[in-house]
Amino acid sequence: MARISRGFRGRRRQDAEPGRLPPGQYVTPDFPVLSAGPTPHPPLQGWSFTIGGAVGEGRSWSWEELLALPAEIVTVDIHCVTKWSKFDTTWKGVPVDRLLEGTEPWGEYVVAWCDGGYTTNLPLADVTGGKAWVAYEYEGEPLDPEHGGPARLLVPHLYFWKSAKWVRGLNLSPEDKPGFWENYGYHNYGDPWKEQRYWGD
Amino acid sequence: MESGSLHTDGNEIGGVLAEVFAVEMTAAGRVCQSCGLDSQVGAHRLYHGAGFVLRCPGCGELAAVIAALPGRNVISLHGTWSIARTSE
Amino acid sequence: MGRQRLPWREVAIREIRPETPSAKTLVLDVPGWPGHAAGQHVDIRLTAEDGYQAQRSYSIASAPGEPDVELTVERIDDGEVSPYLTEEVGPGDGFELRGPIGGYFVWDPARDEPVLLVGGGSGLAPLMAMLRHRRATGTAVDARLLLSARTLEDVLYRDELEELAADGETAPPVVRITLTREDPPPGWSGFRGRIDRDMLTELGLPPTERPRAYVCGPTPFVEEAARLLVELGHEPARVHTERFGPTGG
Repeated sequence: MARISRGFRGRRRQDAEPGRLPPGQYVTPDFPVLSAGPTPHPPLQGWSFTIGGAVGEGRSWSWEELLALPAEIVTVDIHCVTKWSKFDTTWKGVPVDRLLEGTEPWGEYVVAWCDGGYTTNLPLADVTGGKAWVAYEYEGEPLDPEHGGPARLLVPHLYFWKSAKWVRGLNLSPEDKPGFWENYGYHNYGDPWKEQRYWGD
Repeated sequence: MESGSLHTDGNEIGGVLAEVFAVEMTAAGRVCQSCGLDSQVGAHRLYHGAGFVLRCPGCGELAAVIAALPGRNVISLHGTWSIARTSE
Repeated sequence: MGRQRLPWREVAIREIRPETPSAKTLVLDVPGWPGHAAGQHVDIRLTAEDGYQAQRSYSIASAPGEPDVELTVERIDDGEVSPYLTEEVGPGDGFELRGPIGGYFVWDPARDEPVLLVGGGSGLAPLMAMLRHRRATGTAVDARLLLSARTLEDVLYRDELEELAADGETAPPVVRITLTREDPPPGWSGFRGRIDRDMLTELGLPPTERPRAYVCGPTPFVEEAARLLVELGHEPARVHTERFGPTGG
């Protein structure tokens, strides 16, 4: 057991009511910024979000078109694989269900792809049924580039590396293809309640 | 590094890399697979994501990904790395 | 080769020395310390009672050959580790440490080449280890430091820098300071504002002298300074950088 440093607590912490915090996590009011690369700054003119791949009909929206879609405001807890959780975060975004409407997806797996080259993979079932959004506002303000703005995927029931920042599209496929972190040691699915952080968990 | 999105550099993971490779690594050389730049690990940009991501100081391409998992490290190296042999 | 090449050691704080309103030097008792080279750093690991751990890197500010290892920590608002190390710890408190680490950002006095040091804020720490080592070894290479600090009160090791640079010392380093935040004090003869080409040019050691440059501080500072040095004609391979992150270590 490592030597304890007297009085050290670490990041500001909060308490959690029983059952609300997944195993191995700590609650913080902070919002740490983690990233696999530099923050991209795509011009909004020419920005688009695309549904493609194993779909009957692909779809694409410009920034203005995305913002014109009916959106939801949701308040959710989020859980990062680096062990911090943040409760009651509020986002505004378009449900992925709405974006998939009319596309006739026939692939069962999704890869979210992003400016900067980041990718992450999820089963289609985990971004449908009210479980995921393409979010562009956080706490009532336009989403900060450091936190994924202009838009990020929001999938709060999985570890937050699945909520891909700077998302530009979802590519459907009949095959499950590991994304960035899934290729480098992280769990393919990532359920915080089963503590699925790494390969083999 | 305190919370923040800005990168640091390969010096910050000198300890992690020495643990993995059992030699000093910040002075190791790398020729980039994308732009051909020959530079040292200490000069590479380091990002903190779920794990560490090291990128070429010339073009930003992936140089290494290091994930410290319980009981093991998962490493991916890109480009051509030149690591000094020690006499130990 | 031993498997534990870089073991974690338990270390205790022997003494704490205030440096500026926001920075302190921790003087550490490190049993079995193998010694270090100027510019190297250590990793430290703090463990809370509930098992939570945080790890950070700090440059060694003390010169090689000194019995104790000294780290200078600048307090960052809302930081996770620096407020603890600057406000909570006292002599006898401790943590784990591994080191020395580094081979790229290291100054070797045996190389007979001029040395150009550019520091921002607490980035002065490893550069100070180099200047202290230079004095201790009596090395006469041309050494010049350009230091950027918010205010005069924020200049680390101010008295010692003045002493080092004073006339009458053997081969004193040239030390120039730029203050970026306040209106400098009356009679200020140093630079003002963020570092720029003119300051570096005035400092001296142009590319024709082939100095080895060491740049340390917050990431934006280091990137700007390194860019300026390369723009002035210094070879990129001779400009060694160490970034501390957005605001410091």
